[in-house]
Amino acid sequence: MLDNLSTSLKDALKKLAGKSVIDRAAVDELVKDLQRALISADVNVKLVMELSKAIRIRSLDEQLPKGTNVREHVLRIVYQELVRLVWASADIRLEPQIILMAGLQGSGKTTTTAKLARYFQKKGMKAGVICADTFRPGAYDQLSTLCAKINVPCFGNPLEKDAIKITREGLGNLKDLETVIVDTQGRHALEADLIKEIIELNNLTKATHRWLVIDAALGQQASEQARRFHEAINIDGVIITKMDGTAKGGGALSAVAETKSGIAFIGSGETIEDLERFDPDGFISRLLGMGDLKALLEKAEGAIKPDDIDVNAMMKGKFTLRDMYKQLEALNKMGPLKQIMGMLPMGNMELPEGVYDVTSTKMVRYRIIMDSMTPYELDDPSLINSSRMQRIARGAGATPDEVRELLKYFKMMQRTLKGLRSGGGKFNMQRLMKRFSGLQ
Amino acid sequence: MFGGLKEKLQAARDRLGSSIQGAEANQAPATDAIETATDAAAKKTVSPGAPTFADKVKVLVIDRELIVSEKDISDALSELEMTLLESDVALPVCDAIIARVRTSLIGKHRKIGRSVDALVVGALKSALLEVLGNGFNLVDYIKTHSRPVKILFTGVNGTGKTTTVAKIGAYLKKQGYTVVIGGGDTYRAGAIEQIGVHAERIGLKIIQHQEGADPSAVLFDSVQYAVSHKIDVVLADTAGRFHTKSNLMSQLEKIRRVMKPDLVVYVDEAVAGNDAVIRAAEFDRTVGADAIVLTKVDMDSRGGAAISIAHTIGKPLMFLGTGQRYEDIMLFEPAQVVEELLGSDS
Repeated sequence: MLDNLSTSLKDALKKLAGKSVIDRAAVDELVKDLQRALISADVNVKLVMELSKAIRIRSLDEQLPKGTNVREHVLRIVYQELVRLVWASADIRLEPQIILMAGLQGSGKTTTTAKLARYFQKKGMKAGVICADTFRPGAYDQLSTLCAKINVPCFGNPLEKDAIKITREGLGNLKDLETVIVDTQGRHALEADLIKEIIELNNLTKATHRWLVIDAALGQQASEQARRFHEAINIDGVIITKMDGTAKGGGALSAVAETKSGIAFIGSGETIEDLERFDPDGFISRLLGMGDLKALLEKAEGAIKPDDIDVNAMMKGKFTLRDMYKQLEALNKMGPLKQIMGMLPMGNMELPEGVYDVTSTKMVRYRIIMDSMTPYELDDPSLINSSRMQRIARGAGATPDEVRELLKYFKMMQRTLKGLRSGGGKFNMQRLMKRFSGLQ
Repeated sequence: MFGGLKEKLQAARDRLGSSIQGAEANQAPATDAIETATDAAAKKTVSPGAPTFADKVKVLVIDRELIVSEKDISDALSELEMTLLESDVALPVCDAIIARVRTSLIGKHRKIGRSVDALVVGALKSALLEVLGNGFNLVDYIKTHSRPVKILFTGVNGTGKTTTVAKIGAYLKKQGYTVVIGGGDTYRAGAIEQIGVHAERIGLKIIQHQEGADPSAVLFDSVQYAVSHKIDVVLADTAGRFHTKSNLMSQLEKIRRVMKPDLVVYVDEAVAGNDAVIRAAEFDRTVGADAIVLTKVDMDSRGGAAISIAHTIGKPLMFLGTGQRYEDIMLFEPAQVVEELLGSDS
């Protein structure tokens, strides 16, 4: 459904392409599509109306800058208005600080607390956490288990019912550490007692930052909740969680507009490393359902070293198992394939569903199987007959079926790449790969 | 409950009502003057499609009735659309409801003097009722099925599955059933402790393995336990998972194969926005869903998610979670909810 929306947005933009005079009707249509895209991404309806009004007025009134066409002009305005909304990303300093976490039940505060501790730890700071969630059973066990994995001290007491008391003791206990993160119980803005509690916690800790954790799927309610939290403890940053699902995180946009703060981090997975700094460009692209090459390129920059992938050979149609091996290795560092494909501006291009189905564990299996092949087999998979298959399987501790599956996957990748190369449309793989190599 | 939605629907209903009334006022004075002229025109137009002006006048004069036209209500309908969107009803679902109200209103003959309200409320009511379906009475279900009744809970992370399992356990215990809980969330840190504490507080037996164990095995054991101890209901908790993770979804499929649940209950939260529709559809497609539990209803007075999910997968809502205590759970009765939303009669 959302794909349809972004398609219609693109169609509307296409209508503007090539025009040298601004067409009122086309702009109106674009604005209407934009509204629908934003509303179905859960951005607050009132906010959408304000935004689209501003875009419409600016598109019609502003002089067309020389050398740009209407489409670029309108796109630029759309982009500027959206960036204005997300504000600057929240400031994160590596200095002694206390961070107070706030949010609704089930938004992912505890997991995010551990991820944050890991983030600051990786940046070379001494981090510690306090578990001030005295309500939910197992909250302390959850946080202390996560912290034990990364060697971060976790203060808490599952038997104590007074969050204020625990926090006070915890602050004393962890006073030698540079970054202390206080995880709190989930609460919503209509629970007066709990709001009072978090105000007290804020006064007690004199927190440097008060971050609101928002579930990416949170809908229209986001504005209201954010406003109430902001009134209570003056929120200065928002963290969006569960961005690895299909939710667009428009609720966070409403929250940011309401608290006049920025988005600090994005949580996008279940492991403790899955925390990213916020990137407005990527976020907006996702919100509108339009690809984001920039984020991908940044990811690729970190993950792919020169001559990891022989782009030229691949473009010539020579895609061997060896290439796939390197590719799997590189992709593994960048994250799941679907996530990466989602970032590419491929427009309407459809990839076979099976391409995505290779999970990270499977990738590891595939690599082990390929390790058991001879160089000749890697260069020319057609050599592999049933006796070779037996040998490969035995060498890799796999079944011949798994080897067959790998070969099937390889063929699919090969076909897909071929399709990309010859595929028409504005986007082709060639151009993408060139960009990749340009970075190296 | 759903106070916000109620308020807004009332306002939308008034708008719809008044715009139809307004249309009536516009038409009425014109009738005398054009009466003769339209006689001829009326004969010519035999188009069965949209009512022409002549048709309208004819009906007005002869039957003393009004035809509601698209133009009369389009403003009010777009306002209703905004209302629904602001209440977190997902966009496609909202479109469907609006279309339903529109087709049921347009072309309606209405006797002059009959209340506009009744017409509008009727249309809205039937549209909402159709979307929300019939409720689902768990106790009735258990009564009519062979024991143990196995119920599997699914949903994405953080929607409140574990709490819901505990609440339903407490509810069934109060109804006099014996219940065993299967601690199928072996992934999330602290999950085993969480459900363990819940079970202890309510006084229910729980079957658990250690962290990282195969959830299918845990839940299979729970069912075996229930069979050998003649227990009425098995409540199977699972780890939260995103519908985009194909390996986790196939794990859920395996769980379903192994424990063969009588009911698959999909748990989602009332505050979720448009994504609620996407993930509900995906869960329904891969592991199926027989009933829905909507949690965190106390956070949000709008309740649009209830409408979105129910419409998308066409399955009944079973319970609403309305707070943090075990007794904060209520049966969902659509007729009552719709009645409450739109006011009984006016």
